[in-house]
This record gives sequence, structure tokens and C-alpha cells, in this order.
Amino acid sequence: MFLTRSEYDRGVNTFSPEGRLFQVEYAIEAIKLGSTTVGVRTPEGVVLGVEKRVQSPLLESSSIEKIMEIDTHLGCAMSGLTADARTMIDHARVTAQNHAFTYNERIKIESATQAVCDLALRFGESVHDEEAMMSRPFGVALLIAGIDELGPQLFHTDPSGTFMKYEAKAIGSGSEAAQSELQDKWHKQMTLREAQVLTLRVLKQVMEEKLDHHNVQLAQVVPGKGFEILDEVKLKELVDEM
Amino acid sequence: MNTFVNQFSTSSALSVIKKAQAVTDDDEEFSDAAWGSEAGFGSLAKGVPSFSVPAVQDPTSFLRLHTDDHADPNCRIKIQHGTTTLAFRFQGGVIVAVDSRATAGSYIASGTVKKVIEINPYLLGTMAGGAADCQYWETYLGIQCRLHELRNRERISVAAASKYLSNLVYGYKGMGLSMGTMICGWDKTGPAVFYVDSDGSRLKGDLFSVGSGSTFAYGVLDQGYRWDLTDEEAQELGRRSIYAAGHRDAFSGNTCNLYHVKEDGWRFIGNYDITKMHYDGPGDVPGSTKVAYGYDVRVEGRTSSNPPVAAAA
Amino acid sequence: MNPMNTAAQPQQRQFNPYTENGGTILAIAGVDFSVIAGDTRQSEGYNIQTRYAPKVFRLTDRAVLAVNGFAADGNMFVKKVKQRLEWYRHAHAKDMPLHAIARLIQTMLYGRRFFPYYVYNILGGIEDDGSGAVYSFDPVGSYERETCRAAGAAQSLVQPFLDNQIYFKNQQPAPGTAHPAHLPLPHVLSLVIDSFTGATERHIEVGDGLEIYVVLAKGRDLSGLEGFAGLQEVSSRSDGERIFVIRRELKKD
Repeated sequence: MFLTRSEYDRGVNTFSPEGRLFQVEYAIEAIKLGSTTVGVRTPEGVVLGVEKRVQSPLLESSSIEKIMEIDTHLGCAMSGLTADARTMIDHARVTAQNHAFTYNERIKIESATQAVCDLALRFGESVHDEEAMMSRPFGVALLIAGIDELGPQLFHTDPSGTFMKYEAKAIGSGSEAAQSELQDKWHKQMTLREAQVLTLRVLKQVMEEKLDHHNVQLAQVVPGKGFEILDEVKLKELVDEM
Repeated sequence: MNTFVNQFSTSSALSVIKKAQAVTDDDEEFSDAAWGSEAGFGSLAKGVPSFSVPAVQDPTSFLRLHTDDHADPNCRIKIQHGTTTLAFRFQGGVIVAVDSRATAGSYIASGTVKKVIEINPYLLGTMAGGAADCQYWETYLGIQCRLHELRNRERISVAAASKYLSNLVYGYKGMGLSMGTMICGWDKTGPAVFYVDSDGSRLKGDLFSVGSGSTFAYGVLDQGYRWDLTDEEAQELGRRSIYAAGHRDAFSGNTCNLYHVKEDGWRFIGNYDITKMHYDGPGDVPGSTKVAYGYDVRVEGRTSSNPPVAAAA
Repeated sequence: MNPMNTAAQPQQRQFNPYTENGGTILAIAGVDFSVIAGDTRQSEGYNIQTRYAPKVFRLTDRAVLAVNGFAADGNMFVKKVKQRLEWYRHAHAKDMPLHAIARLIQTMLYGRRFFPYYVYNILGGIEDDGSGAVYSFDPVGSYERETCRAAGAAQSLVQPFLDNQIYFKNQQPAPGTAHPAHLPLPHVLSLVIDSFTGATERHIEVGDGLEIYVVLAKGRDLSGLEGFAGLQEVSSRSDGERIFVIRRELKKD
């Protein structure tokens, strides 16, 4: 992709003469190595789905954690360097709790997303006399799903600190095929059930292994119950239905 | 971060204050975060709360001079005080009962205070001492417990939550915080009650009462307490004890708020007027004998229209 | 007197940044409205500094804050609350809800736990669910939602009156009737005015002028307000919650 490698692709705080930040672009590339992650928004709630790559039969698949809770009304799925996502999600959790403490209300989905993106931009930077806290951009993209007074929402964040709101979004290695499939199949008045099935179908299409309830994980945010990772029983039922 | 190292590295209160002064030297200087998505968490912007301190030799005595109404009833800033609270553990969970009076000096500032702080659906804290100290720090404890839950995929134990609070307020020892609280809940070990105060005490126990009316409450509580109390008996004992304190302690009174913690979290049982309990009893509620706590026992048999029970029979 | 003598006396100095500026504030919540009022006299000791120093401030279209105690601290505090409301509006693209303002005020007051603002705050307005609400605070931030609250110099004169007239304390309803849970707006307004004329009669630090802010829930008509002399609207829009001020004279002696 970048044929003209130069000294400009080293420093995180140096633009190339064409006006690019190579390290950030490479970080975005890193996500394309990650497992496929899908998010679908409906008027009834938001569905998140991830592919779990179980690389070895000796690997405990339940220990792969790619969907995490930020707060009761707010969840998140990741693709890329998942270790980086821990830092971001912990930041989101702390921000959500600080907001609850200061304002006695749940944080808005967009505000939580904005907070994560602010953190994503802190690479190579030092505030006042403090040491810089990160040496490189995060190598992970997130799908942040939640419900607030504006209804169910889905946001996508990337290593450049950009975030955008989506009706349906796929990230990771199979994202291109998955995204065009979503574009075909998504419609405005989808039910939650339809969204769950669509998520699984899209994942199935792009996965190398045969999809079953061990190698995918599904979560949803719905009014009332809030964020919930679907257990294996519910997942199996959905896989069978599909 | 408010690590143990930071908290315990100094011994005198003064040096702690000096450190706080250094942190907040320019009164409420907000970090850049105030403008971004963190949108001004104010004193919380640095992760843990930070506080403004007056630039005087001895900030503690400054605070005492202006706020401590025990030392000087004419001091200007009246912080709400005075209380009876109790909590006890028994076979059926934890009973938490409190009064609802707040006094500033001798003025009854409020008769409707919520002295049970609902930290989260399975943890309760009680309020005695400075109302703001308890409200603020127990709310803060609430968000820390939630973070514990998210990070460890497991609810925090009552022991851990109370220890967190204890360590937190110990960091401000000698600076004028005033709180005596009971952290109550149900965890893997069953029902649990911990007493935590601003001096640094943290005690595990079956039965506590805190506040100016605690001696009166203990009197009733101790003579009626058994481990194998039924739920109804236990609730009645909590109510009756708060009534006794409200009746005899001038700084306690108005109403009694009653909570019951069980395996699936706490439940609010009811609010009972203490004057009503004196004359008419708590009403038709579980565990109640439906008789007045104070009036009948004093006046029974005094007039022919109100004969003693035995004579009437 | 020998100047040496005075120098030999032990001397004690104390840092005292506080003074008391008198005045009284009160707030009453109705079903779909909230009334927040304060007198406008500012005094120090027996000296009246000014006859018009507002103690009640509009924060948003649905929140009004009354501050009482040390005027300098109070004005500073209101300024900082307004600043935080502005930041919040920019960060979250909405006005701060009333219950959020209440919690914010707690954290701001408690941030000065070791150097308190000498102010008693009463916050009134409309909650997200459209109900009228009043929150009262102590100087270091303990707070509670109530139906009515008086604070300041004449607190001990006004609060018992409100207890009697609003909570119907020590009143027995006529047989077969019950006390109303919420009072209508005209009734509340006349109670507020009576509270202040009464306090002016009996308290030297209360008087001069009266400012009554009325916050109406979204969609509520103006019934109960029409015909009030000196009524002025101060809301920024007419399709949301609406705020009005009524200014009255109080005795100036």
C-alpha cells in the first residue's frame, strides 16, 4: 500500500510531506488482521457479534473475551489488538462511573465514545510536565453500542480517534465482505431477532471455520435489561434457527 | 491514584493537608480535561477527588473554628448532625433502621432526611455524623463498587467495600471528616455488617448502633436480640429501638426508615412516624403487636375510661 | 496607657474570610410547577449595604438556584455553577437535567469541604418527568429533594409556617376530607408573599424587595399567573419549560 517508505513512518507525531501520519494508518491496518466483528442497530436495541478464533483445540474458548460491558446501558465489541482495548474500555468504564457520580445520570453513548476517542489521541503527547502515557496509537477498533435518551445507537471508533455513528457496521479481517452484506440486508424496521440472525449470517459468511455456538459471541443492548452477553443456550438456539 | 503508598506515607494530618494544598494550590485549577469529553468532573478530574484547602498555617483548626458547633454553638457554618442509626445481622439477613432528624445546633434542620444510603442494589450504608461526608463518600464508594464488579465480573464483598471506605476516609484522618457508618449487605459469606468511622475504626459484628441516640437504641436492641429472630420479629425490633431513641434523645426523632437486606438485595420496608408509634403503634405491619409503644403503658388504668387490661377482662 | 503594655498582651489572630449577609430564601414545589423566592436586602450587622442584591438566579429554562449566607461566596458559587452548566452543554449537547444539577452542586460544595462556601443553596425547577422539584443543600453539600424549604436569616420564622400550610403539620382535616397533596399555583404564590411580608415584619435582616421565580412544566398553561402585577417572562423559548419572575416591594424600614 505504502510503496514509498521513508523516515516519516517512524515517529507518531510527524506528518509526511503528503500530510499523512503513517503510524496511525498502520494502526488502522492492524485492525484488518483482527477477527470480524459486527454491530447492527434496530429500533428495538443493538446487537453486537464477534468471531472467536479458537486457534487450538486446547484453547478454552470461554477465555476469549471480545465483547465487554462498559455500564448497564453500554457495551462494546472489539477487533485488532485486544489488549489495547482493555485500556480503552477501562477508561470508558471510569468515565461512565465518574459521570454517574457527578451528574447522577447515565452517560450518553456519544459522550462515552468521545471519551474513548480522546484517549486514543493521547499518543506521543505529554500534558504539562507529565510523562507521555503512550508511545504508539492503539491498534484496535471498537463498536460501541448502547441506549440512552436518544434511543439505541451504534458507534465505530478507530485508532485515529475518529468516531462515527452507524446503523450497521463490520470491522476486522472480513469487514469488506461483511459490510456489503449488511448494506444489502439491513433495513430500518428490523426486529431484534432479525438483527441477531443477520449478525450471525454475516459472521458465517466471512468465517473460515463452520460457525457454531463456541466460535461466535453475541451481545445485545435492549431497553430495560440493558447490556447482556447472550449465553450459550440462547446462542445455540439462534444458530439452529439460522 | 490514591494508592496506599500515598495514603500511608505520611503520619501527621498537617502534612496530608500540605500535600493536598500542593495538589490544589491554585483554587480549583481545572485540567485540560475540563473542556473535553470529561466535561469537567470538577474535583474528580484527576481520578480521585481533590479538595481546596485554605492557605493558612493550620487548616484543620480553621475548619474547626468555622464549622464545629460542639465547640462553639455560635459558629457560622452549621453542618447537619445528630442521629440514631442501627443495623443488625440475624438468621434472615440484615435489618437496618434509622431516624430521620437532622439538627444544626439546636435547630431541627430537617425531619425527612434519608439516613440510609442506597450504595447499590445489594449494599446499604447508614449516615451518622456529617451528612455531607456520609452522602458524598458512600456515593463515591458506590461507583468504586460498580467498577470492581465490571473489572472482576463479580460483586464486591461487604468486607472489601467497607475496607475500601475505611482506607479512603483514613486518608483524611485528622482533617475534620465526621462519619460513623454501617456498611450492610449480603455476599458469598451471608449477611454482613461492618462499622466504619472517620477515625479509622472498622469492625465486623452482628449488631451496631451509632449516633447520639445509640445508647437508647442499644437498650431495646440488646434485650430483644436473638440470632434466630423471624423476619417480622427482627423488623419490629429495629422499629422499636429507633422509637426508643427518638423518644429519649433530643437530637433524634421525626420518623424511622426501615430496610431489610436479604440474599437478593435490600428492600425498603417502610417509614414510620415516631410520634404515631408513641400514641398508636406502628400500625398494621408485619411483626407489630398493634399497640402503642409509649402512651398506653404510661396511662393505662389512670382513668375509668381507660381501665387496665386485666380489669377490663 | 503605656504602649509597652499593649505589646506585652498576648494576641490571637484568626483567619476569618466569612461574613453573614442576612436575607431569606424559600422554594416550594407543586405538581407541575416550582416557585423559588428570595428577598433582596443585603446587610452586614445592623448596616443595610444595599436594597437590591438578587439572591435567586435562573440557571437554565427549568432550573433556578437561590443562594443565601455570605453574599460573596454565593455570587462566586453561582458563577461557577453556570460555568459548569455551559461546559456540560457543550460536551453533551443538552441542558443539564435538574437532578443532575443537584448532584453537581453537591460535588462542587463538597470540593470545598475543607474551606467551605458559606452558602445555603435551594434549587428549584422541573424534573425530566415534568414534576416540580425542590432540592435543599447544607454548606458542604448534603442534599435532599423536598416539597418546600426555607433558608437564611428568617428560616426559623418561615419554615414552621410552611410546615403548617404546606405539609399541614398539626392540622386535623375536617371529617370526611383529606389534606391536598399538592397546592395550586395561586395558593402557593400567596403563601410565598405572606411568608416574606411576615418575615419582614419580624426580622431586621429581611425586607426591601421580593423576587419570586416561577418555573412551569412544559406544556402547562399560565393559569394562576395571569393578572399578577409585575410579571415578567425570562425563559429563552416558549415551547419548553417556562420561567417567570414576579417582583414585589417589601417594607424598607
